[in-house]
Amino acid sequence: MADLSPKERLLRVLQKQKIDRPPVLCTGGMMNAAVVGVMERTGHTLPAAHHDEWLMTELALAVRQDTGFENLGLPFCLTVEAEVLGSEIDFGTLACEPKIAREVFPSVRRVEYRDVGQLARSGRIQTVVQAGYRLAHKEPDLPVIANLTGPISTAASIVDPMTFLKELRKDPDNAHRVLDYVSEFLIAYARLLIEGGVTLIAIGDPTATGEILGPKMFAEYAVPYLNKVAAAVHEAGRPVIVHICGDIKAVRHLAPQIRSDALSTDALVNLRALKQDFPELTTMGNLSTYLLQAGSTDAVAAQTARLVRDGIDIISPACGLSTSSPLENIRAMTGVVKENRGNG
Amino acid sequence: MARSRETLIQGLSDAVVDMAEEETVILAKEVVTNRFDAYEAIEKGLAGGMDRAGKLFEEEEYFIPELLMCSDAMYAGLDILKPHLKIDAQAEKCKVVIGVVEGDTHDIGKNLVKIMLETSGFEVIDLGRDIPPAAFVTKAKEVGARIIALSTLMTTTMDGMADVIRLLKEENIREEVVVMVGGGPISQAFADRIGADGYARDASEAARLAQRLVQRVTV
Repeated sequence: MADLSPKERLLRVLQKQKIDRPPVLCTGGMMNAAVVGVMERTGHTLPAAHHDEWLMTELALAVRQDTGFENLGLPFCLTVEAEVLGSEIDFGTLACEPKIAREVFPSVRRVEYRDVGQLARSGRIQTVVQAGYRLAHKEPDLPVIANLTGPISTAASIVDPMTFLKELRKDPDNAHRVLDYVSEFLIAYARLLIEGGVTLIAIGDPTATGEILGPKMFAEYAVPYLNKVAAAVHEAGRPVIVHICGDIKAVRHLAPQIRSDALSTDALVNLRALKQDFPELTTMGNLSTYLLQAGSTDAVAAQTARLVRDGIDIISPACGLSTSSPLENIRAMTGVVKENRGNG
Repeated sequence: MARSRETLIQGLSDAVVDMAEEETVILAKEVVTNRFDAYEAIEKGLAGGMDRAGKLFEEEEYFIPELLMCSDAMYAGLDILKPHLKIDAQAEKCKVVIGVVEGDTHDIGKNLVKIMLETSGFEVIDLGRDIPPAAFVTKAKEVGARIIALSTLMTTTMDGMADVIRLLKEENIREEVVVMVGGGPISQAFADRIGADGYARDASEAARLAQRLVQRVTV
Protein backbone atom coordinates (compact mmCIF):
# COMPACT_ATOMS: atom_id res chain seq x y z
CA MET A 1 0.00 0.00 0.00
CA ALA A 2 3.11 2.15 0.12
CA ASP A 3 2.50 3.47 -3.36
CA LEU A 4 -0.96 4.90 -2.87
CA SER A 5 -1.27 8.25 -4.57
CA PRO A 6 -2.63 11.05 -2.36
CA LYS A 7 -5.85 10.94 -4.36
CA GLU A 8 -6.25 7.18 -3.94
CA ARG A 9 -5.49 7.41 -0.24
CA LEU A 10 -8.13 10.07 0.32
CA LEU A 11 -10.77 8.32 -1.76
CA ARG A 12 -10.05 5.06 0.07
CA VAL A 13 -10.42 6.62 3.50
CA LEU A 14 -13.69 8.24 2.45
CA GLN A 15 -14.91 4.81 1.34
CA LYS A 16 -13.82 3.34 4.69
CA GLN A 17 -11.19 1.17 3.05
CA LYS A 18 -7.85 0.30 4.59
CA ILE A 19 -5.02 2.78 4.16
CA ASP A 20 -1.37 3.00 5.21
CA ARG A 21 -1.74 6.30 7.10
CA PRO A 22 -4.17 9.18 7.26
CA PRO A 23 -4.02 11.84 4.53
CA VAL A 24 -3.11 15.36 5.64
CA LEU A 25 -5.33 17.96 4.00
CA CYS A 26 -6.27 21.57 3.94
CA THR A 27 -9.49 21.82 2.00
CA GLY A 28 -9.32 25.40 0.75
CA GLY A 29 -12.24 27.80 0.99
CA MET A 30 -12.54 29.03 4.56
CA MET A 31 -9.81 26.54 5.50
CA ASN A 32 -7.14 27.59 3.03
CA ALA A 33 -3.40 27.70 3.45
CA ALA A 34 -2.59 30.63 1.17
CA VAL A 35 -0.39 32.10 3.88
CA VAL A 36 1.74 35.20 3.37
CA GLY A 37 4.90 33.04 3.15
CA VAL A 38 3.64 31.24 0.02
CA MET A 39 2.48 34.42 -1.66
CA GLU A 40 5.73 36.27 -0.99
CA ARG A 41 7.84 33.45 -2.38
CA THR A 42 5.84 33.01 -5.56
CA GLY A 43 4.42 36.45 -6.25
CA HIS A 44 1.05 34.77 -6.86
CA THR A 45 -0.89 36.94 -4.53
CA LEU A 46 -4.32 37.63 -3.13
CA PRO A 47 -6.60 39.47 -3.57
CA ALA A 48 -5.72 39.33 -7.32
CA ALA A 49 -5.92 35.51 -7.39
CA HIS A 50 -9.57 35.63 -6.35
CA HIS A 51 -10.42 36.97 -9.80
CA ASP A 52 -8.00 35.25 -12.18
CA GLU A 53 -8.16 31.55 -13.04
CA TRP A 54 -4.50 31.29 -13.94
CA LEU A 55 -3.35 32.98 -10.73
CA MET A 56 -5.82 30.92 -8.70
CA THR A 57 -4.44 27.73 -10.26
CA GLU A 58 -0.83 28.75 -9.67
CA LEU A 59 -1.49 29.79 -6.09
CA ALA A 60 -3.24 26.49 -5.34
CA LEU A 61 -0.22 24.61 -6.75
CA ALA A 62 2.21 26.77 -4.79
CA VAL A 63 0.28 26.26 -1.54
CA ARG A 64 0.47 22.49 -2.00
CA GLN A 65 4.15 22.62 -2.83
CA ASP A 66 5.17 24.89 0.07
CA THR A 67 3.00 23.33 2.77
CA GLY A 68 3.08 19.62 1.98
CA PHE A 69 -0.69 19.25 2.19
CA GLU A 70 -1.80 16.35 0.03
CA ASN A 71 -4.45 18.09 -2.00
CA LEU A 72 -5.19 21.15 -4.08
CA GLY A 73 -7.87 23.41 -2.65
CA LEU A 74 -10.13 26.08 -4.17
CA PRO A 75 -11.15 28.88 -3.83
CA PHE A 76 -9.42 31.10 -1.23
CA CYS A 77 -12.46 32.73 0.34
CA LEU A 78 -16.08 32.24 1.40
CA THR A 79 -17.57 34.98 -0.71
CA VAL A 80 -17.94 33.56 -4.25
CA GLU A 81 -21.55 32.50 -3.66
CA ALA A 82 -22.72 35.63 -1.86
CA GLU A 83 -21.21 37.84 -4.55
CA VAL A 84 -23.04 36.00 -7.33
CA LEU A 85 -26.26 36.27 -5.32
CA GLY A 86 -25.82 40.03 -5.11
CA SER A 87 -24.01 40.95 -1.89
CA GLU A 88 -21.24 43.53 -1.85
CA ILE A 89 -17.78 42.07 -1.21
CA ASP A 90 -14.70 43.67 0.29
CA PHE A 91 -11.85 41.69 -1.26
CA GLY A 92 -9.45 42.43 1.58
CA THR A 93 -5.68 42.54 1.20
CA LEU A 94 -2.83 40.12 0.76
CA ALA A 95 -2.96 39.22 4.45
CA CYS A 96 -6.65 39.70 5.09
CA GLU A 97 -9.31 37.53 3.50
CA PRO A 98 -12.38 38.86 1.66
CA LYS A 99 -15.55 39.48 3.58
CA ILE A 100 -19.13 40.53 3.02
CA ALA A 101 -19.24 44.33 3.06
CA ARG A 102 -23.03 44.51 2.83
CA GLU A 103 -25.71 41.86 2.60
CA VAL A 104 -28.01 42.51 -0.34
CA PHE A 105 -31.40 41.75 1.27
CA PRO A 106 -32.85 43.17 4.51
CA SER A 107 -34.96 40.10 5.33
CA VAL A 108 -35.83 36.61 4.08
CA ARG A 109 -39.16 37.95 2.87
CA ARG A 110 -37.42 40.39 0.54
CA VAL A 111 -35.05 37.96 -1.18
CA GLU A 112 -35.38 38.10 -4.96
CA TYR A 113 -35.32 34.69 -6.60
CA ARG A 114 -33.42 34.24 -9.84
CA ASP A 115 -32.62 31.34 -12.13
CA VAL A 116 -29.99 29.26 -10.34
CA GLY A 117 -28.63 27.76 -13.56
CA GLN A 118 -27.85 31.22 -14.90
CA LEU A 119 -26.47 32.40 -11.58
CA ALA A 120 -24.10 29.45 -11.48
CA ARG A 121 -22.64 30.61 -14.77
CA SER A 122 -21.85 34.12 -13.56
CA GLY A 123 -19.37 36.01 -11.42
CA ARG A 124 -16.29 34.32 -10.06
CA ILE A 125 -17.84 30.87 -10.33
CA GLN A 126 -16.30 30.58 -13.80
CA THR A 127 -12.87 31.45 -12.36
CA VAL A 128 -13.15 28.71 -9.72
CA VAL A 129 -14.56 26.12 -12.15
CA GLN A 130 -11.81 26.81 -14.70
CA ALA A 131 -9.08 26.70 -12.06
CA GLY A 132 -10.52 23.38 -10.85
CA TYR A 133 -10.39 22.03 -14.40
CA ARG A 134 -6.77 23.12 -14.86
CA LEU A 135 -5.68 21.64 -11.54
CA ALA A 136 -7.45 18.33 -12.13
CA HIS A 137 -5.70 17.92 -15.48
CA LYS A 138 -2.31 19.13 -14.32
CA GLU A 139 -2.11 16.95 -11.20
CA PRO A 140 -4.10 13.77 -11.78
CA ASP A 141 -2.62 12.07 -8.68
CA LEU A 142 -3.69 14.81 -6.30
CA PRO A 143 -7.23 15.28 -5.06
CA VAL A 144 -8.69 18.62 -6.08
CA ILE A 145 -11.08 19.84 -3.39
CA ALA A 146 -13.61 22.50 -4.30
CA ASN A 147 -15.21 24.32 -1.41
CA LEU A 148 -18.75 25.54 -1.09
CA THR A 149 -20.02 27.99 1.49
CA GLY A 150 -22.81 26.05 3.19
CA PRO A 151 -26.50 26.91 2.84
CA ILE A 152 -26.94 28.67 6.20
CA SER A 153 -23.76 30.74 5.82
CA THR A 154 -24.61 31.68 2.25
CA ALA A 155 -28.14 32.66 3.28
CA ALA A 156 -26.71 34.70 6.17
CA SER A 157 -24.39 36.38 3.64
CA ILE A 158 -27.24 37.63 1.47
CA VAL A 159 -29.67 38.51 4.28
CA ASP A 160 -28.45 40.53 7.26
CA PRO A 161 -27.30 37.76 9.64
CA MET A 162 -28.99 39.14 12.78
CA THR A 163 -32.30 39.40 10.99
CA PHE A 164 -31.79 36.05 9.32
CA LEU A 165 -31.21 34.26 12.64
CA LYS A 166 -34.35 35.79 14.14
CA GLU A 167 -36.35 34.93 11.08
CA LEU A 168 -35.49 31.25 11.44
CA ARG A 169 -38.06 31.49 14.26
CA LYS A 170 -40.20 34.42 13.13
CA ASP A 171 -40.69 33.61 9.46
CA PRO A 172 -39.90 29.91 8.98
CA ASP A 173 -41.74 29.66 5.65
CA ASN A 174 -39.61 32.28 3.96
CA ALA A 175 -36.46 31.11 5.79
CA HIS A 176 -36.98 27.63 4.35
CA ARG A 177 -37.69 29.08 0.93
CA VAL A 178 -34.43 31.07 0.95
CA LEU A 179 -32.44 28.06 2.16
CA ASP A 180 -33.96 25.87 -0.51
CA TYR A 181 -33.09 28.43 -3.18
CA VAL A 182 -29.54 28.82 -1.89
CA SER A 183 -29.15 25.02 -1.80
CA GLU A 184 -30.36 24.69 -5.39
CA PHE A 185 -27.87 27.35 -6.40
CA LEU A 186 -25.04 25.56 -4.55
CA ILE A 187 -25.99 22.31 -6.29
CA ALA A 188 -25.84 23.99 -9.72
CA TYR A 189 -22.40 25.40 -8.82
CA ALA A 190 -21.20 22.02 -7.50
CA ARG A 191 -22.27 20.28 -10.72
CA LEU A 192 -20.14 22.66 -12.78
CA LEU A 193 -17.16 22.05 -10.49
CA ILE A 194 -17.63 18.30 -10.81
CA GLU A 195 -17.98 18.49 -14.61
CA GLY A 196 -14.68 20.38 -14.55
CA GLY A 197 -13.07 17.40 -12.85
CA VAL A 198 -12.69 18.22 -9.15
CA THR A 199 -12.30 15.14 -6.95
CA LEU A 200 -14.63 16.11 -4.15
CA ILE A 201 -16.70 18.87 -2.63
CA ALA A 202 -16.10 20.30 0.84
CA ILE A 203 -18.81 22.32 2.52
CA GLY A 204 -17.88 24.83 5.22
CA ASP A 205 -20.82 26.40 6.96
CA PRO A 206 -19.45 28.64 9.71
CA THR A 207 -22.82 30.16 10.63
CA ALA A 208 -24.40 26.70 10.98
CA THR A 209 -22.87 25.89 14.35
CA GLY A 210 -24.34 24.29 17.43
CA GLU A 211 -23.31 27.34 19.43
CA ILE A 212 -25.20 29.77 17.22
CA LEU A 213 -28.26 27.73 16.25
CA GLY A 214 -28.74 25.25 19.09
CA PRO A 215 -30.01 21.72 18.49
CA LYS A 216 -33.55 22.57 17.40
CA MET A 217 -32.66 25.09 14.69
CA PHE A 218 -29.66 23.00 13.62
CA ALA A 219 -31.93 19.99 13.09
CA GLU A 220 -34.57 22.04 11.31
CA TYR A 221 -32.37 24.18 9.08
CA ALA A 222 -28.73 23.06 8.96
CA VAL A 223 -28.97 19.28 8.59
CA PRO A 224 -31.64 19.07 5.85
CA TYR A 225 -30.03 21.61 3.53
CA LEU A 226 -26.48 20.32 4.04
CA ASN A 227 -27.91 16.89 3.20
CA LYS A 228 -29.73 18.22 0.17
CA VAL A 229 -26.47 19.55 -1.28
CA ALA A 230 -24.56 16.42 -0.22
CA ALA A 231 -27.14 14.15 -1.88
CA ALA A 232 -26.78 16.03 -5.20
CA VAL A 233 -22.99 15.78 -5.03
CA HIS A 234 -23.25 12.04 -4.34
CA GLU A 235 -25.62 11.71 -7.25
CA ALA A 236 -22.94 13.30 -9.43
CA GLY A 237 -20.56 10.61 -8.21
CA ARG A 238 -18.35 12.60 -5.85
CA PRO A 239 -17.70 12.44 -2.09
CA VAL A 240 -18.48 15.28 0.33
CA ILE A 241 -16.69 16.59 3.40
CA VAL A 242 -18.63 18.81 5.82
CA HIS A 243 -16.87 21.12 8.27
CA ILE A 244 -18.66 22.34 11.38
CA CYS A 245 -17.20 25.32 13.24
CA GLY A 246 -17.12 25.90 16.96
CA ASP A 247 -18.10 23.61 19.80
CA ILE A 248 -20.52 20.93 18.57
CA LYS A 249 -21.60 19.92 22.08
CA ALA A 250 -25.20 21.10 21.62
CA VAL A 251 -25.62 19.28 18.28
CA ARG A 252 -23.29 16.32 18.77
CA HIS A 253 -26.15 13.82 18.68
CA LEU A 254 -27.07 15.11 15.20
CA ALA A 255 -23.60 14.45 13.73
CA PRO A 256 -24.49 10.98 12.34
CA GLN A 257 -27.48 12.50 10.52
CA ILE A 258 -25.19 14.60 8.31
CA ARG A 259 -24.75 12.66 5.08
CA SER A 260 -21.13 13.53 4.45
CA ASP A 261 -18.30 11.10 3.79
CA ALA A 262 -16.18 12.81 6.43
CA LEU A 263 -16.96 15.25 9.22
CA SER A 264 -14.40 17.92 10.04
CA THR A 265 -14.55 19.85 13.31
CA ASP A 266 -12.97 22.71 15.22
CA ALA A 267 -10.11 22.34 17.70
CA LEU A 268 -12.21 22.21 20.87
CA VAL A 269 -13.98 19.03 19.79
CA ASN A 270 -12.55 15.76 21.07
CA LEU A 271 -12.54 13.82 17.81
CA ARG A 272 -11.39 10.59 19.43
CA ALA A 273 -14.41 10.63 21.74
CA LEU A 274 -16.70 11.55 18.84
CA LYS A 275 -15.38 8.58 16.90
CA GLN A 276 -15.88 6.30 19.89
CA ASP A 277 -19.48 7.39 20.29
CA PHE A 278 -20.28 7.29 16.58
CA PRO A 279 -18.00 4.66 15.01
CA GLU A 280 -19.71 5.12 11.64
CA LEU A 281 -18.23 8.63 11.30
CA THR A 282 -15.11 9.33 9.28
CA THR A 283 -13.45 12.07 11.29
CA MET A 284 -11.30 14.90 10.05
CA GLY A 285 -9.36 17.54 11.91
CA ASN A 286 -8.45 19.24 14.06
CA LEU A 287 -5.11 20.81 14.75
CA SER A 288 -5.54 24.16 16.49
CA THR A 289 -5.01 26.98 14.01
CA TYR A 290 -3.88 29.12 16.92
CA LEU A 291 -1.11 26.62 17.59
CA LEU A 292 -0.24 26.62 13.88
CA GLN A 293 0.10 30.38 13.95
CA ALA A 294 1.76 30.99 17.30
CA GLY A 295 3.11 27.65 18.55
CA SER A 296 6.59 26.16 18.15
CA THR A 297 7.28 23.58 15.44
CA ASP A 298 7.82 21.01 18.21
CA ALA A 299 4.41 21.70 19.74
CA VAL A 300 2.78 21.52 16.30
CA ALA A 301 4.50 18.21 15.58
CA ALA A 302 3.55 16.77 18.99
CA GLN A 303 -0.11 17.72 18.67
CA THR A 304 -0.29 16.40 15.12
CA ALA A 305 1.27 13.11 16.23
CA ARG A 306 -1.39 12.90 18.95
CA LEU A 307 -4.17 13.24 16.35
CA VAL A 308 -2.61 10.45 14.30
CA ARG A 309 -2.32 8.24 17.43
CA ASP A 310 -5.93 8.99 18.28
CA GLY A 311 -6.91 7.38 15.01
CA ILE A 312 -8.36 10.50 13.39
CA ASP A 313 -9.08 9.45 9.81
CA ILE A 314 -7.95 12.61 8.02
CA ILE A 315 -5.57 15.11 9.59
CA SER A 316 -6.20 18.78 8.87
CA PRO A 317 -6.25 22.22 10.47
CA ALA A 318 -9.23 22.78 12.77
CA CYS A 319 -10.55 25.89 11.04
CA GLY A 320 -9.45 28.83 8.91
CA LEU A 321 -5.69 29.43 9.06
CA SER A 322 -4.24 32.77 9.95
CA THR A 323 -2.43 34.16 6.92
CA SER A 324 0.57 34.80 9.15
CA SER A 325 0.98 31.13 10.06
CA PRO A 326 4.66 30.27 9.50
CA LEU A 327 5.37 27.71 6.78
CA GLU A 328 7.76 25.80 9.08
CA ASN A 329 4.81 25.06 11.36
CA ILE A 330 2.60 23.89 8.54
CA ARG A 331 5.42 21.72 7.19
CA ALA A 332 5.99 20.30 10.69
CA MET A 333 2.32 19.28 10.68
CA THR A 334 2.31 17.64 7.26
CA GLY A 335 5.74 16.08 7.82
CA VAL A 336 4.68 14.24 10.98
CA VAL A 337 1.67 12.67 9.27
CA LYS A 338 3.71 11.49 6.30
CA GLU A 339 6.36 9.92 8.56
CA ASN A 340 3.65 7.78 10.12
CA ARG A 341 3.55 5.39 7.19
CA GLY A 342 2.62 1.88 8.20
CA ASN A 343 1.41 2.67 11.70
CA GLY A 344 -2.24 2.58 10.73
CA MET B 1 -60.02 44.12 34.25
CA ALA B 2 -57.08 46.25 35.22
CA ARG B 3 -53.98 44.33 36.12
CA SER B 4 -51.91 45.10 39.19
CA ARG B 5 -48.43 46.62 39.02
CA GLU B 6 -46.88 43.32 40.10
CA THR B 7 -48.81 41.35 37.51
CA LEU B 8 -47.73 43.74 34.75
CA ILE B 9 -44.08 43.60 35.77
CA GLN B 10 -44.13 39.83 35.93
CA GLY B 11 -45.99 39.80 32.61
CA LEU B 12 -43.33 41.99 30.96
CA SER B 13 -40.57 39.75 32.23
CA ASP B 14 -42.38 36.64 31.00
CA ALA B 15 -43.18 38.21 27.62
CA VAL B 16 -39.48 38.98 27.07
CA VAL B 17 -38.49 35.43 28.01
CA ASP B 18 -41.25 34.05 25.77
CA MET B 19 -40.02 36.20 22.82
CA ALA B 20 -43.51 37.75 22.67
CA GLU B 21 -42.91 41.19 21.17
CA GLU B 22 -46.57 42.13 20.71
CA GLU B 23 -47.45 41.06 24.23
CA THR B 24 -44.57 43.16 25.58
CA VAL B 25 -45.92 46.21 23.75
CA ILE B 26 -49.46 45.68 25.10
CA LEU B 27 -48.19 45.32 28.67
CA ALA B 28 -45.84 48.31 28.40
CA LYS B 29 -48.74 50.46 27.17
CA GLU B 30 -50.80 49.30 30.12
CA VAL B 31 -48.01 50.37 32.48
CA VAL B 32 -48.14 53.82 30.90
CA THR B 33 -51.96 54.07 30.97
CA ASN B 34 -51.99 53.14 34.64
CA ARG B 35 -49.21 55.62 35.40
CA PHE B 36 -47.10 52.96 37.06
CA ASP B 37 -43.41 53.67 37.50
CA ALA B 38 -41.72 53.22 34.09
CA TYR B 39 -38.31 52.76 35.69
CA GLU B 40 -39.49 49.80 37.75
CA ALA B 41 -41.23 48.27 34.74
CA ILE B 42 -38.01 48.53 32.74
CA GLU B 43 -35.72 47.40 35.51
CA LYS B 44 -37.73 44.52 36.96
CA GLY B 45 -39.90 43.68 33.97
CA LEU B 46 -37.92 44.10 30.75
CA ALA B 47 -34.36 43.89 32.06
CA GLY B 48 -35.43 41.18 34.50
CA GLY B 49 -36.81 39.16 31.61
CA MET B 50 -33.67 39.70 29.56
CA ASP B 51 -31.59 38.59 32.51
CA ARG B 52 -33.60 35.36 32.67
CA ALA B 53 -33.18 34.93 28.91
CA GLY B 54 -29.42 35.42 29.35
CA LYS B 55 -29.38 32.66 31.97
CA LEU B 56 -31.28 30.34 29.64
CA PHE B 57 -28.65 31.18 27.01
CA GLU B 58 -25.83 30.29 29.39
CA GLU B 59 -27.61 27.06 30.28
CA GLU B 60 -27.90 26.30 26.54
CA GLU B 61 -31.66 26.23 26.74
CA TYR B 62 -31.74 29.26 24.44
CA PHE B 63 -29.40 29.91 21.53
CA ILE B 64 -28.72 33.00 19.43
CA PRO B 65 -32.03 33.13 17.48
CA GLU B 66 -33.97 32.92 20.75
CA LEU B 67 -31.84 35.50 22.55
CA LEU B 68 -32.25 37.92 19.62
CA MET B 69 -36.04 37.46 19.67
CA CYS B 70 -36.08 38.16 23.42
CA SER B 71 -34.06 41.31 22.88
CA ASP B 72 -36.46 42.48 20.16
CA ALA B 73 -39.31 42.10 22.66
CA MET B 74 -37.31 43.98 25.29
CA TYR B 75 -36.46 46.88 22.96
CA ALA B 76 -40.09 47.12 21.79
CA GLY B 77 -41.20 47.55 25.41
CA LEU B 78 -38.34 49.94 26.07
CA ASP B 79 -39.42 52.22 23.20
CA ILE B 80 -42.78 52.66 24.89
CA LEU B 81 -41.59 53.05 28.46
CA LYS B 82 -38.48 55.20 27.97
CA PRO B 83 -40.30 58.51 27.26
CA HIS B 84 -42.12 58.08 30.58
CA LEU B 85 -39.01 57.80 32.75
CA LYS B 86 -38.73 60.46 35.44
CA ILE B 87 -35.78 62.76 34.91
CA ASP B 88 -33.80 61.52 37.93
CA ALA B 89 -33.97 57.99 36.58
CA GLN B 90 -32.19 59.15 33.45
CA ALA B 91 -28.94 59.81 35.29
CA GLU B 92 -25.84 59.58 33.19
CA LYS B 93 -24.89 56.03 32.45
CA CYS B 94 -21.48 54.48 32.25
CA LYS B 95 -20.42 54.48 28.61
CA VAL B 96 -19.01 51.58 26.63
CA VAL B 97 -17.50 51.82 23.16
CA ILE B 98 -17.94 48.50 21.41
CA GLY B 99 -16.99 47.11 17.99
CA VAL B 100 -15.52 44.31 15.93
CA VAL B 101 -11.85 44.84 15.17
CA GLU B 102 -10.59 45.64 11.70
CA GLY B 103 -10.56 42.78 9.22
CA ASP B 104 -13.59 40.99 10.63
CA THR B 105 -17.21 41.52 9.73
CA HIS B 106 -18.75 38.89 12.00
CA ASP B 107 -20.80 40.87 14.46
CA ILE B 108 -23.36 38.53 15.95
CA GLY B 109 -21.36 38.08 19.16
CA LYS B 110 -20.70 41.80 19.46
CA ASN B 111 -24.40 42.56 19.02
CA LEU B 112 -25.29 40.11 21.78
CA VAL B 113 -22.78 41.73 24.13
CA LYS B 114 -24.25 45.12 23.30
CA ILE B 115 -27.75 43.90 24.17
CA MET B 116 -26.64 42.43 27.47
CA LEU B 117 -24.63 45.56 28.38
CA GLU B 118 -27.63 47.78 27.66
CA THR B 119 -29.78 45.48 29.73
CA SER B 120 -27.31 45.91 32.60
CA GLY B 121 -27.61 49.70 32.49
CA PHE B 122 -24.67 50.72 30.31
CA GLU B 123 -24.87 53.23 27.51
CA VAL B 124 -23.36 51.48 24.51
CA ILE B 125 -21.78 53.30 21.59
CA ASP B 126 -21.63 50.73 18.80
CA LEU B 127 -18.97 51.42 16.17
CA GLY B 128 -20.03 48.38 14.11
CA ARG B 129 -17.77 45.89 12.38
CA ASP B 130 -14.37 46.04 10.67
CA ILE B 131 -13.19 48.94 12.85
CA PRO B 132 -9.56 50.19 12.84
CA PRO B 133 -7.88 50.32 16.29
CA ALA B 134 -7.53 54.13 16.33
CA ALA B 135 -11.30 54.60 15.90
CA PHE B 136 -11.97 52.89 19.24
CA VAL B 137 -9.57 55.20 21.03
CA THR B 138 -10.83 58.36 19.33
CA LYS B 139 -14.45 57.54 20.13
CA ALA B 140 -13.69 56.59 23.73
CA LYS B 141 -11.95 59.95 24.24
CA GLU B 142 -14.75 61.84 22.53
CA VAL B 143 -17.57 60.39 24.63
CA GLY B 144 -15.63 59.81 27.83
CA ALA B 145 -16.14 56.05 27.74
CA ARG B 146 -15.05 53.99 30.71
CA ILE B 147 -14.96 50.75 28.76
CA ILE B 148 -13.77 49.65 25.34
CA ALA B 149 -15.17 46.25 24.37
CA LEU B 150 -13.44 44.48 21.46
CA SER B 151 -14.64 41.43 19.60
CA THR B 152 -13.31 39.22 16.85
CA LEU B 153 -14.05 35.80 15.45
CA MET B 154 -10.93 35.58 13.35
CA THR B 155 -7.41 34.70 14.46
CA THR B 156 -6.12 36.98 11.71
CA THR B 157 -7.47 40.07 13.40
CA MET B 158 -6.49 39.42 17.00
CA ASP B 159 -3.45 41.70 16.76
CA GLY B 160 -5.79 44.68 16.32
CA MET B 161 -6.82 44.21 19.94
CA ALA B 162 -3.25 44.66 21.15
CA ASP B 163 -3.00 47.78 18.94
CA VAL B 164 -5.94 49.39 20.75
CA ILE B 165 -4.19 48.90 24.10
CA ARG B 166 -0.94 50.25 22.70
CA LEU B 167 -2.72 53.35 21.37
CA LEU B 168 -4.40 53.96 24.73
CA LYS B 169 -0.95 53.92 26.34
CA GLU B 170 0.43 56.31 23.73
CA GLU B 171 -2.42 58.68 24.47
CA ASN B 172 -1.74 58.31 28.20
CA ILE B 173 -5.30 57.21 28.93
CA ARG B 174 -4.71 53.50 29.49
CA GLU B 175 -5.54 53.86 33.21
CA GLU B 176 -8.84 55.56 32.55
CA VAL B 177 -10.29 53.02 30.17
CA VAL B 178 -11.10 49.41 30.89
CA VAL B 179 -10.46 47.10 27.92
CA MET B 180 -12.57 43.95 27.55
CA VAL B 181 -11.98 41.36 24.83
CA GLY B 182 -13.95 38.41 23.54
CA GLY B 183 -14.86 36.27 20.56
CA GLY B 184 -14.19 32.79 19.17
CA PRO B 185 -10.39 32.58 19.14
CA ILE B 186 -9.86 34.78 22.22
CA SER B 187 -8.91 33.26 25.56
CA GLN B 188 -8.06 34.49 29.05
CA ALA B 189 -4.42 33.74 28.25
CA PHE B 190 -4.56 35.96 25.17
CA ALA B 191 -6.24 38.73 27.17
CA ASP B 192 -3.50 38.54 29.78
CA ARG B 193 -0.76 38.56 27.18
CA ILE B 194 -1.93 41.72 25.47
CA GLY B 195 -2.67 43.38 28.82
CA ALA B 196 -6.47 43.58 28.51
CA ASP B 197 -8.43 44.07 31.72
CA GLY B 198 -10.85 41.26 31.15
CA TYR B 199 -12.07 38.44 28.97
CA ALA B 200 -15.57 37.00 28.79
CA ARG B 201 -16.74 33.73 27.24
CA ASP B 202 -20.21 34.89 26.27
CA ALA B 203 -22.53 37.87 26.28
CA SER B 204 -24.03 37.34 29.73
CA GLU B 205 -20.62 36.94 31.27
CA ALA B 206 -19.43 40.07 29.44
CA ALA B 207 -22.16 42.16 31.09
CA ARG B 208 -21.22 40.91 34.57
CA LEU B 209 -17.54 41.44 33.82
CA ALA B 210 -18.22 45.03 32.75
CA GLN B 211 -20.02 45.75 36.01
CA ARG B 212 -17.19 44.24 38.02
CA LEU B 213 -14.49 46.09 36.09
CA VAL B 214 -15.98 49.58 36.34
CA GLN B 215 -16.34 49.23 40.09
CA ARG B 216 -12.58 48.80 40.24
CA VAL B 217 -11.72 51.90 38.24
CA THR B 218 -11.49 55.09 40.24
CA VAL B 219 -13.85 57.72 38.94
